[in-house]
Amino acid sequence: MAGVVSSTLIIAWRDIKKWIGRRAVFVVSIITPLIWIAFFGKSMNIQGIFTSRVPENLPPQLQNLMQELFNQALLNAFGTTDYFTFFAAGMLAVFSLFQSMFSGVSVIFDKRLGYMDRLLVTPTPRTAIFLGKVGATLFRLSLLEILLFAAAVALGMNLKPDLSASDLLAAWIVIMLLSLGLSSAYTTLSFYAENQEVIFAVGNLVNLPLMFTSSALFPVQQMPSWLQAIAKVNPVTYAADLVRYHLVGKPINDYLFHISILAVVSLGLFIVGLALSVRWMNNR
Amino acid sequence: MECAVEAENLVKIYPGNVKAVDNVSFCIKRGEIYSLLGPNGAGKTTTVKMLSTLLKPTSGDARVLGHSIVKEPNKVRRIIGIVPQELTSDDEMTGWDNVYIQAKLYGYSRSEAEKRTREALEFMDLLDVAKRKVSTYSGGMRRRLEIAMSLVHQPEILYMDEPTLGLDVQSRRHLWNLITQLKKEGITILLTTHYMEEAESLSDRVAIIDHGRIIAEGTPAELTSKLGGERIHLIMKSNNEAEQLANRLSELGFNVKVFNETLVVTVSNAAKTIPELAPYLSNVIEVRITRPNLEEVFLELTGRRLRDEEPIDSFRYRVMTRRLRR
Repeated sequence: MAGVVSSTLIIAWRDIKKWIGRRAVFVVSIITPLIWIAFFGKSMNIQGIFTSRVPENLPPQLQNLMQELFNQALLNAFGTTDYFTFFAAGMLAVFSLFQSMFSGVSVIFDKRLGYMDRLLVTPTPRTAIFLGKVGATLFRLSLLEILLFAAAVALGMNLKPDLSASDLLAAWIVIMLLSLGLSSAYTTLSFYAENQEVIFAVGNLVNLPLMFTSSALFPVQQMPSWLQAIAKVNPVTYAADLVRYHLVGKPINDYLFHISILAVVSLGLFIVGLALSVRWMNNR
Repeated sequence: MECAVEAENLVKIYPGNVKAVDNVSFCIKRGEIYSLLGPNGAGKTTTVKMLSTLLKPTSGDARVLGHSIVKEPNKVRRIIGIVPQELTSDDEMTGWDNVYIQAKLYGYSRSEAEKRTREALEFMDLLDVAKRKVSTYSGGMRRRLEIAMSLVHQPEILYMDEPTLGLDVQSRRHLWNLITQLKKEGITILLTTHYMEEAESLSDRVAIIDHGRIIAEGTPAELTSKLGGERIHLIMKSNNEAEQLANRLSELGFNVKVFNETLVVTVSNAAKTIPELAPYLSNVIEVRITRPNLEEVFLELTGRRLRDEEPIDSFRYRVMTRRLRR
C-alpha cells in the first residue's frame, strides 16, 4: 500500500514537472482560464439585452415597472439578475470538462515514445500508474480552477453574502469529483487509443454537447423537455448547480440527490476506468 | 550449468495470426554477454519484451534467476534492467531528474534514491551534465542516460535492445567500452542487435535469429569457423551471368555459392587464389575479399543480408532520429 502511494506521487510529480518545465505550455495554460472567463463571460451580456430595451420616452414609473419585470424574468431564469455571476459558476464546471480531456494525452505519448514500457518493467503497482496520471490532472486543474475563480471575482462575480470557508471547500470538492470522473474516462481511453487523434475526436464529439446540455450556461427549466431529460443525466449539470449553490447561493431543491448523482457517476467512471486501465497494462 | 536466463519454447503470436517468435529456447549463462543477432522484424524485440514481462508469451515460459516470467513477473522486474530501443528520457527535465524518478519507482527512500542516482550517472560519465536539461544532450549522452536509468536499481541482468542504433562510430565505440565494463561488474547482458560488428566484438555467445526462430548459436569464433577460410565475392551484372560463372568455377573444383548477382568463392587463401581466377573475371564488376564474419554466417544460413532498415514503429524511430541528430 505504501508502494502505491509513493509510486503515485512520483508518477504525478513527473507529469507536473514536465508541465511546468515546458514554459510556453505552462504560461498558456495559466492564461487560458483568465481568457475564458473574461471573453466568454463578458461577451454574453444578457442583462444588457434587457436593460437596453426599456424605452426612454415612457414615464419614469412605467420605466421602473418594466425594469422590474425584466429583472423578475432574469431572476426566474437564472436565480439572479446578474448573468455573469450565473455563468461564472457554470464555467468552473465547464473548464474542468475541457481540461480533463488533456489528461489522456500524456499517456498516449508515454506509450508511443516507449516510456510506458520503461514504467511497466519496474515493479511499480499498476494502480499507481493510473492514479499518478489522474492525480497530476487533478493537481493541475486545482491550480487553474483557483485562478479561474479569482479572475471571475475580479471581473464582478457576485458571491453570496454569507460565503464561508466550508462553502469554498465544498465547491472545490464538487469540481474535483467531476474532474475525477472525466479525467478517469479520458485516461482510460488513452490506454486503449492508438494515437492522440482519438482523444481529440472524442473530445470534440462529447465536450460541446455536454456543455450545452448542462445547466452551465443556461438553466435547465428553459430547455425543451427532451433536452431537459438529457441535462438530467449529465454530470456537468449537477456540478454546475452545486457550485452555484455554494458560491452564489442559488437554491437547489434536493441537495443530497445532486451530490449523490455526481458522486455515483464520477466514482463509477473512476472505478471502471481504473479496472480497465490495469487490465490493459497486464494483458498485452 | 547455471542459466541466468533460460527461455523454454517461447512463442508469441500477435493478433492476426502473426507469429513473431516461433518456439525459441536458449540459456544465458551468468556473467556473459549473449547476443540475439538478426534483421529487423526477426523477433528480437518481441523476445526481449517477453523476457522483461511486458508481453505475455502465447505459450512457453522463461526463468530469470529461477523466477518464471509468467507466474512471478514482479520478482523478475526487481532483478532485471532494460535499455529500450527508444529514447525514453524526458527532454524538458534534467538528466538527474530522469534517473531519480526511475530510482523512486523501485521504492527507495529519498536519500537512497539520490545516492543511487549519483552512482548510476557517475558510472555512465554523466555526472557533470546531470543538472542540464536532456534537450541539450548529444545522441551518445542520451544513450548513456538510458543505460543510467536502467542501472539505478543495480539489476543482475540487463537487456539492451539495439543500444547503439542511430549512433555515430565514435559514440558507438564509447558505448561498447561501457558495456564491457558492465560485464566486468558481473552483470549478465542480453544484447539484441542487427550490427554484425557489435555482436562480434562484444558477445561471448551469439544466437542468430530469423523469422522468429534461432537458426544458429555459438561463440562468434565457432559460428564463423564453420564457414571455412576467406571468401572472394565476385559481383556481376546479373544473376544469370553469376550462375554461368559459378558453373564454370565449380567444374574447376572451387567451392562456389550464388546470392542474386553475387558469386561467393570460399578459399583458404584469397590473395593466392585470385591470380588463378583471373582468366574468368572479365565480366566481373567488383571483387571483394572478406574474412569470415557473422554477416557472412547470416548470409550463408538465410541467403539474405542483415538489412539496415527502419524499425517497425516509424513514429518512434522518427522521434528518436530527430533527437539523436542534435
